[in-house]
Amino acid sequence: MSDYQPIINALIGCDMAKTTELVNLSLTQGIDAKDILNQGLIPAMDIVGQKMETGEMFIPEVLMAAQVMSSATEILKPTLAKEDSDAKGTVIIGTVKGDLHDIGKNLVGMMMESGGLEVHNLGVDVEPERFAAQVQEKKAGILCLSALLTTTMPMMQKTIDILKDKGLRDQVKVMIGGAPVTQTYADQIGADAYASDAGSAARLAKSLI
Amino acid sequence: MKQIPPATFKPRLKVLNKEQAWAIHTAALEILEKHSFTVEHKEALSLLDNAGCSVKNENQVTMPAYVAERALKTAPRQIVLYDQQGNRAMDLADDNFYYGTGSDTIFTLDVETGERRRALLKDVANFARTIDALENMDFSMSMSNPEDAPIENIYVHVFAEMIKNSSKPICFIADSGRDIKKIHQMACAVAGGEDALAQKPFILNYSEAISPLRFPANVMEKLLFCAEKKIPICLPSGCNAGGGGPVTLAGAMALGIAENLVGLVIHQLANPGAPFLFAPNVSILDMRTTVISYGCPEWSLTQAALADMRDEIYGLPIWAYAGASDAKTVDAQAGAEAMFSILTAMQSRCNFIHDVGYLEHGNTSSLEMLVMADELVAMARHFSEGIPVNPETLALEAIERVAGGAAGSMFLSDPHTFENFKTAHFMPKLIDRFRYEGWEKAGKKDMQARCNEEALRILSQHQVAPKTDEILREIDLILAD
Repeated sequence: MSDYQPIINALIGCDMAKTTELVNLSLTQGIDAKDILNQGLIPAMDIVGQKMETGEMFIPEVLMAAQVMSSATEILKPTLAKEDSDAKGTVIIGTVKGDLHDIGKNLVGMMMESGGLEVHNLGVDVEPERFAAQVQEKKAGILCLSALLTTTMPMMQKTIDILKDKGLRDQVKVMIGGAPVTQTYADQIGADAYASDAGSAARLAKSLI
Repeated sequence: MKQIPPATFKPRLKVLNKEQAWAIHTAALEILEKHSFTVEHKEALSLLDNAGCSVKNENQVTMPAYVAERALKTAPRQIVLYDQQGNRAMDLADDNFYYGTGSDTIFTLDVETGERRRALLKDVANFARTIDALENMDFSMSMSNPEDAPIENIYVHVFAEMIKNSSKPICFIADSGRDIKKIHQMACAVAGGEDALAQKPFILNYSEAISPLRFPANVMEKLLFCAEKKIPICLPSGCNAGGGGPVTLAGAMALGIAENLVGLVIHQLANPGAPFLFAPNVSILDMRTTVISYGCPEWSLTQAALADMRDEIYGLPIWAYAGASDAKTVDAQAGAEAMFSILTAMQSRCNFIHDVGYLEHGNTSSLEMLVMADELVAMARHFSEGIPVNPETLALEAIERVAGGAAGSMFLSDPHTFENFKTAHFMPKLIDRFRYEGWEKAGKKDMQARCNEEALRILSQHQVAPKTDEILREIDLILAD
């Protein structure tokens, strides 16, 4: 038995130096890496998620906590068993062909990563074929498509069509989002889910895995 | 001895002093000298290259300060927009301010049912007609991103709706060099040809670069087209504090101005003297919700600061926003946020002030919000006129008549009151000042309900000056093309 509260507090406090110091200390004390992860870091990130929803923590704090989490996990990785360090699910994310807007999509990617998903961010202006190829190559369970311009929304439909053509549609859940995108549009093009903001996108993705 | 009356001082807001203005401008120039920006358009790249910029790795550009300073000298200091009948309507320069709607909301609050639903083409028509009727609104934007227009030609369709339903100047959106040509054709049809339109432009294009420092091909196509045709254009970026730009307002402004200068330079290199409306858009990314706020005090601050920079440095007319809100309905928050930005934009003398009637941080439009904002602009205008001080307004003769007159003399019945009351006081139309019983008798209607009635009245009664059959035929031909 060990008390993980100091680690939890340090992570929630977005304190990089303190968190990594405590994680290193725990390891030298012979505490199992798996326990540090499952009883310290992951519960802390769950609290961060809750605090974000209630408005007690703001997005820059959540993202800083996610960076602390990621550094702490890096310390644990060499001693973690392979199965313990595996991400829960793989996500491909990108902005569709013709659209160069980056920020919202990147935020969604970061929030998903901090939720324990393995995220491959393909960037902007991504061809439908490239999305499909990456879904196949990474064996992704979730594909996230972003569009800020109304005029590029049809590329979401096109990407779904290509997934169908290549026989990949059944193995991947397609999530869409972006300023002009609505639930109605998601239904219309046969996407699996729509999220209106980064927090709900990350939650939704985890529920789809 | 006759006295010279003192010139009336008009209330005016200042945010930056000279040193602050120059510090932000200098920071913007440093950004362009030290950090490369991405231009994804061959012709634009070669213009920059020939002008003394450095182009590396195909599309990465840095710009020496003198190139930006030169463009600021060739851009005109005044842009005049006409209405669709060729009457002078907007002198965009100096202290002049004009208000109008915004573009591309996904939803609207249905004026009949109050329901929030996807925007349709008929909403574009309704907003244009309402703008046409409202005294304090000067120009139209589409307001809607309609679900029932074909996506690939969406901006051509919304432009046609605005032509058919208004006579006022139009600020339009286009996707690329392809649809802007069609929109230009339509505008030429209305004005009576390309030369007539260039002489008396009634259109202004709004395009956006992507922060940080990215200039996509489709945006460059529009910029070069507008430069060539002398269509006034505004090309800010979405450099919102914490999102597209640094979280602190000065840094976000510096980056946004740097981005705006890149657009200006390409534009002036393509056609020196073509009209360019200056501005970055610097609101904030809300750190709780990640929405870009349309009701925050910061956007009002940055555009007031830009007005100071216009006066101190740029001399070019500027783009701004007001009369919008993050509220979901036309409630107290909507009223408060609308008035805050309307008054401060006017007090800092921003020139082209758009987005009036936005709710839900630009996601939803509302005719009631627009109608209410029209009244708020009138109220702010009255305030901004200040207190005229002259013999007539000092009213010493009226005071003598009442103070020294017969018993029962009062100002209320004095001829001076009769002659001056309509201009001396603001006369509200929708704001309620009845006694309680009067308000109760009229149905206890709140501001939202009164604005709803007024919007419905305008839609059922207002007549827009009709376009000729020939113009309408040409518009339809271009639409069908």
